[in-house]
Amino acid sequence: MPTLRELQRVVAHGLIAHDDAAAAHVIADGLAPAARLAIYRNTVIASLTNALRLSYPAVYRLVGAAFFESAAQLFLAAHSPRGACLDDYDAGFADFLADFAPAASVRYLAGVARLDWAVNRALHAPDADRLDPARLVAVAAADEPYVHFVPHPSVGLVHAEHPVDAIWRAVLAQDEAAMAAIDLDEGPVFLLVRRTADGPAIARLASAAWRFTASLCAGQSLQDAIATAGDVDAATLLASHLIDGVFTDFAVDEGGGRQPMENLP
Amino acid sequence: MSFPPTAATARGPIPARAGIGLRFPHHRVVAETRPDVAWIEVHTENYLGGGVTPAWLDAIRCDYLISCHGVGLSLGTAEGLDRDHLARIGRAVERFAPALISEHLSWSVAGGRYLADLLPLPLTDEALAVVCRNVDETQEFLRRRILIENPSSYLCYRHSTIPEWEFLAAVAGRTGCGILCDVNNIYVSAQNHGWDASTYLAALPPAAIGEIHLAGHAVRRLDDGSVLRIDDHGSRVAPAVWALYAEALDRFGPVPTLIEWDTDIPPLATLLDEARSAQTLLDRYGRKAGHADAA
Repeated sequence: MPTLRELQRVVAHGLIAHDDAAAAHVIADGLAPAARLAIYRNTVIASLTNALRLSYPAVYRLVGAAFFESAAQLFLAAHSPRGACLDDYDAGFADFLADFAPAASVRYLAGVARLDWAVNRALHAPDADRLDPARLVAVAAADEPYVHFVPHPSVGLVHAEHPVDAIWRAVLAQDEAAMAAIDLDEGPVFLLVRRTADGPAIARLASAAWRFTASLCAGQSLQDAIATAGDVDAATLLASHLIDGVFTDFAVDEGGGRQPMENLP
Repeated sequence: MSFPPTAATARGPIPARAGIGLRFPHHRVVAETRPDVAWIEVHTENYLGGGVTPAWLDAIRCDYLISCHGVGLSLGTAEGLDRDHLARIGRAVERFAPALISEHLSWSVAGGRYLADLLPLPLTDEALAVVCRNVDETQEFLRRRILIENPSSYLCYRHSTIPEWEFLAAVAGRTGCGILCDVNNIYVSAQNHGWDASTYLAALPPAAIGEIHLAGHAVRRLDDGSVLRIDDHGSRVAPAVWALYAEALDRFGPVPTLIEWDTDIPPLATLLDEARSAQTLLDRYGRKAGHADAA
């Protein structure tokens, strides 16, 4: 007789990996144990595939139901979710698609998947108050280079080699004409995704502006972000991000440590 | 230890009347038209993030008492509860101040994997101890009594030793939790396993029954001609389940009753129509036992 832990491990593995080792513990009673387990397997796979479909709607439209379902099954066999909040599941699906040989002919698929995921995050990320720009007035000019920002949880930065924002919009709108008009060779796109009152917003940035924004969102100081970005109008970008609620908080580096402004004398 | 069934700040308990399960397609119509329904239940896991979805619930709960029905806590997991998930549920409880909180007699997590289904437990003394430990931990964390729902199931384990109805009653007896009696699930499992549904109902302690669920199920004919009932929440409540519901009301008295519908979700009017059918039976049978709101 298995312990509960042993039974749950063998059932869980069997449902995801399509093996029926758990059948030995199940009563037949008119229906084969493997067939009884298959009822649960179908529900598990359908639920997780549906969670992926909801998070990756543009990928789903691009590849179609049959392709999506077979890719999803291979993905979830290796990456079943760690927690029960499925809005958070499947962050790794874009990387999986990037290496998925059957999808290699759709060069932009992984990029579209990264945008799908960023939009999903923008939709479901925790709520947080935006940083009140007035608080920055208290920062001494000499401290400005050492300011760090905390990005809003809904903010995502996507860089792709193809115009995935145009593809994403066209495919979700089922706009054939817009899809046909896309020039796949127009060059890379640098996108800032965030949640607004009207839903997710996807904005194109210049490459330097994107590097600057990505550096700030990764926790670099203003000075370091400017150095990373190169040629960038930092003041204008920062003002625009503050208006858009890209940040929720800030701190000033002092002697290697960080201190929230409120705690300074 | 015993915990209060409702938060001190809540507007009283859920009344012993019919409510409906709220799903995404009906957020707007419920918020804008405020239909005549006694209370509303949501799946807790759908409201753990930020953005528009929980904002709908903030708006709707201004006008309705809310029940938070969890599907992901995995109270039957031998490895213990996911404390991060429990903490997120705690924050949702703080935000939405539900009048009822419920979960399932099942498991969904093993080896750190979440399987997105309500999987059946072996009904053993070991599993009973695990479930009771996890229910205790949940109630202590939330400082609230929770309700535990009987699952529908499609298999039984060879090493099970305790009938499901005795197992459920024992969980309620040991932990002080209440029971969410899903009448459709009792019917589905009884048909699938050859149990007697009346025996099941008779084994449940009436004072512990805090809520009843009703839903539709599918009938699947297998290759050998036999029939398996699948709890898909995708149709109206079956006549045999209405009959069993009347029997449950006769036994338990008036209990808050919820109409659930999760696949092929119909217009809101259909749900309200099902809720009216439940209310009719509540009015007819619920008076007999004459005890107050069990919640």
